[in-house]
Amino acid sequence: MTWTAELEGRSGGVPAGRRVRMERRYRRLLTLYPRAHRREHAEEMIGVLFAAAEADARIRAPKPVAWALRTGQHVADCADLVAGAARIRGRMLGQRVRQAIRSSWIVRDPRWSDALAVISVIAPLLLLVAALAEFHLPQAVASSLTGDPHWRPTATLGLSDLPLAAGAPAVAVLALLRLRRLAGLAAIAAAIGQGPLTGYASPVVAFTVLLACTAAAALLLSPGPGRGLALLTRGGAALIGAGALILGGFSVGGDVWLASPGGFTKGLGSEVTGLPGDLLIATVLVAVAVGCLRAPVSRRVLALLAIPVIPYAVLWQEKLASDLFGQAGGASASIPSSLPLLYLPPLLLAGVIIAGTWVARRRAIRQGTPASPAGPRSAVSA
Amino acid sequence: MQEPTFLILTALAAGAQHGYGIMSDVTRISDGRVRLRAGTLYAALDRLKADGMVSSDKEEVVDGRLRRYYRITDEGTAALAAEVRRIRANAAVAASRLGLAGGTV
Repeated sequence: MTWTAELEGRSGGVPAGRRVRMERRYRRLLTLYPRAHRREHAEEMIGVLFAAAEADARIRAPKPVAWALRTGQHVADCADLVAGAARIRGRMLGQRVRQAIRSSWIVRDPRWSDALAVISVIAPLLLLVAALAEFHLPQAVASSLTGDPHWRPTATLGLSDLPLAAGAPAVAVLALLRLRRLAGLAAIAAAIGQGPLTGYASPVVAFTVLLACTAAAALLLSPGPGRGLALLTRGGAALIGAGALILGGFSVGGDVWLASPGGFTKGLGSEVTGLPGDLLIATVLVAVAVGCLRAPVSRRVLALLAIPVIPYAVLWQEKLASDLFGQAGGASASIPSSLPLLYLPPLLLAGVIIAGTWVARRRAIRQGTPASPAGPRSAVSA
Repeated sequence: MQEPTFLILTALAAGAQHGYGIMSDVTRISDGRVRLRAGTLYAALDRLKADGMVSSDKEEVVDGRLRRYYRITDEGTAALAAEVRRIRANAAVAASRLGLAGGTV
């Protein structure tokens, strides 16, 4: 639709020939605007421009003055159209840059991105529990629950415990303050500080090192704890809290039962180290796993949580052997810890996850469909 | 808040208006000092809509011309009220330092 055709012969104050030229010029300048803006506002803007031009044309003045006024206003309107387009495009560019900065490094698949966001809540929490276990706090809570008198909080720390004891609270506080990148870097520092390559094949150290690495990946590659908290249901959060307490109370401080002579393990009491403890840990892990299988995001949370938990399985089978056969380390019944046993399976799992998502993305690009179907995102119920 | 934004929100505070109506009202409100042009007006409206301060109202065709009306939202009203309080407070301080009677201008 053109205004020229509509207004031909009408006394708008602007002669028809001039009106045609003006409209052509306005339309040319409007091509500078983004397509969506043009589609929504172009006709409306031309209407406003002509309404203003008609008002200018009605000003009574000597002919040369009126001509100068009209021409000046038209030039000013044209310049203003260019400036308006520049402002809108500049704002859009700014938004795109801000969006790119916000989403830089964030995993594109929404289900993995959400799973990492949930992990960015869980992993710092578990890391904090592991750090508190250095002071025997979760063990003391677990002991008070089971009636075992042997665990008391302690303030004595070895030098090698410092990276975890100091790093984990830093990660948790930074994550809480929504400073996810800084929290991610603190988690990397905590992982490196624990010295996974020192050659000490401890499942406890492997668990906390891999947990710190998982926390770092989750914090750096996802929208962060805000999104993770929004996805966590109350039941899921409660189950994770219970899991954290049990992991902290019954296993993270487990080096006491594993590294000590056989008699000492027995002396700890059956509530913590015996079969009921094993079954409790197994029950919680199975409950978390079963709960996680229900939704796509939860399944991915489970896969990511498995990375740090695999060394824990080594710890658990040693403990189980010890409980069953009555000796620390489980004597010949358990598979002894070693660096390859502790670190290779988690690294393989991480590799499989990365390769799997990469292949899925490539396939989706080839088929011209998004990697994940759009739709409501699943809440994490476990 | 920039002056054109303030004047556009002030124009819409009295009721929904179409583009040319806002332009004329802004000229009237500013006593002829500010003349908004189409490029500036629609860039400002675009931003205000994105910020949720203004929304599109009805549309009509008058004399073959499309008129879309805009209205101020609750968010826009709150922002305008906050700006009015800020300007009033600044003006009161300036007036009192200038020794104007009653600290008002």
